[in-house]
Amino acid sequence: MNTQRLFALLKMELKKIIREPAYVFLMFLFPAVLTIIFGFTFSDPELGMPFSAMAPGLFAYACIFIIMIVAQSFSDEREQGLLRRLSITPMKASDFMGSQILSNMIIAMLQVLIVFILAQLFDFKPQTDILGILLAIILMAIFSLSSVGLGLITATISKSAGVATGLSFLFILPQMFLGTFIPITSNTRVIAIFLPSYYVTDALTSIFNGDSLLSANILIDFGVVSIVSIIIVIIGIQLFDKFGNK
Amino acid sequence: MEQNNIAIEVRNLKKYFKTKLEIVKAVDDISFNVKSGEIFGLLGPNGAGKTTTINILIGLIKPTDGSATIYGYDIQDHISKAKELIGVCPQEHAVFKFLSGRENIELFGNLYSMPKDKIKKRTDELIDKLNFSNASKHKTKGYSGGMLSQLNLIISIVNDPKIIFLDEPTVGMDPRARRKTWEFIGNFKNERKTVLLTTHYIEEAEALCDRVAIIDYGELLDIGSPKDLMKKYESDNLEGVFMNITGRKIMEGM
Repeated sequence: MNTQRLFALLKMELKKIIREPAYVFLMFLFPAVLTIIFGFTFSDPELGMPFSAMAPGLFAYACIFIIMIVAQSFSDEREQGLLRRLSITPMKASDFMGSQILSNMIIAMLQVLIVFILAQLFDFKPQTDILGILLAIILMAIFSLSSVGLGLITATISKSAGVATGLSFLFILPQMFLGTFIPITSNTRVIAIFLPSYYVTDALTSIFNGDSLLSANILIDFGVVSIVSIIIVIIGIQLFDKFGNK
Repeated sequence: MEQNNIAIEVRNLKKYFKTKLEIVKAVDDISFNVKSGEIFGLLGPNGAGKTTTINILIGLIKPTDGSATIYGYDIQDHISKAKELIGVCPQEHAVFKFLSGRENIELFGNLYSMPKDKIKKRTDELIDKLNFSNASKHKTKGYSGGMLSQLNLIISIVNDPKIIFLDEPTVGMDPRARRKTWEFIGNFKNERKTVLLTTHYIEEAEALCDRVAIIDYGELLDIGSPKDLMKKYESDNLEGVFMNITGRKIMEGM
């Protein structure tokens, strides 16, 4: 991996997110608005479910939309011949994929901060210290790998950016409803245990409830998210490299 | 290896694509050399196999058979070395729309690992040469087709390559922009650059190329300087040469 190329590509990726209004909305405004709406709604005791119980799911929820951004952006750049142009230069696939992973990790960490700060305005008082918050940020950065991987898989099987947007919901919806802010029942758990977002939400709930950061539950969740996310991103890179960039 | 007077050597190159119904011979056993410092044209109608040939030479697709070298580097075994020596201007306007013209040029300079000060100097120089300074500050989203073509061309030479591949470099340009681009390409000769360009414009091939390879249905039909070919086929222009060889006009193939 060449650091000059990696940082030039990383800079380009971050500019893409900041300069495209649709991406700014999906990555930053959407989780912010959602946190505020959920904050207002669930602060009402009438609902019988405190906002603090569902806040951890909102962190994971925001990160899931990276799937759509990655799928759209890769499909779009493939259509425009940009990926082919990049591959004609001495750039290595590792420089390019490295920049994708880093930029999305940075976005995931920013999302955590946005949701975390806004959630403070409502009934969200995490029973943890700075180390717990740091661990939550690291967990989300690792989880973003799975979103990059699923985005690449979506781009590989999509013929256009439009198709990629639609297909990305195949991966977004199950994680949205079975692993984030909607309470898991014994029925839905059967499926949810196969989704990394389930373990992210579970770990975040434990961290914010003040469990020991070295508790078995947090360590197992952390391990599952790390292993699954790394496997998914490797599969995504391999598939896209072999079939996606044509 | 790089001292070789032959910049590009193509030997019995073949590229066949399998479809459900047949095998399409996109490039069918072609051989040619491009000398260092020469402007060499691949002339033929759309679908003749010109872009496929370029795509093989720049390492985008693998040939079915045959070999090719860039300054002695085999494109299948040493494509990384070859990539450092070449610049490619693709047919499509492959630029990042959310970046300005300057940012696009600088990005590609970084991809070639050029030193920062050299990237800036080279970017300024190229922007100046093509009178591009005002547009270069703005995002390319608002560029006209002609401006995008110019930026496309600038990006392809930011690394100061020894060999420049130009795939239909003036398609979609108005006559004035085309003349300006021809002048720009013509200047590569003074800089001792080797150029391999594909075109279906007769005037372009006649105005720019030292030698032309006439290609159709994946086959190389003849090769020579425009003057020699016109003499050989007793014609006033390359359109007549193509007509005499194939029995049809270049534009008929489009």
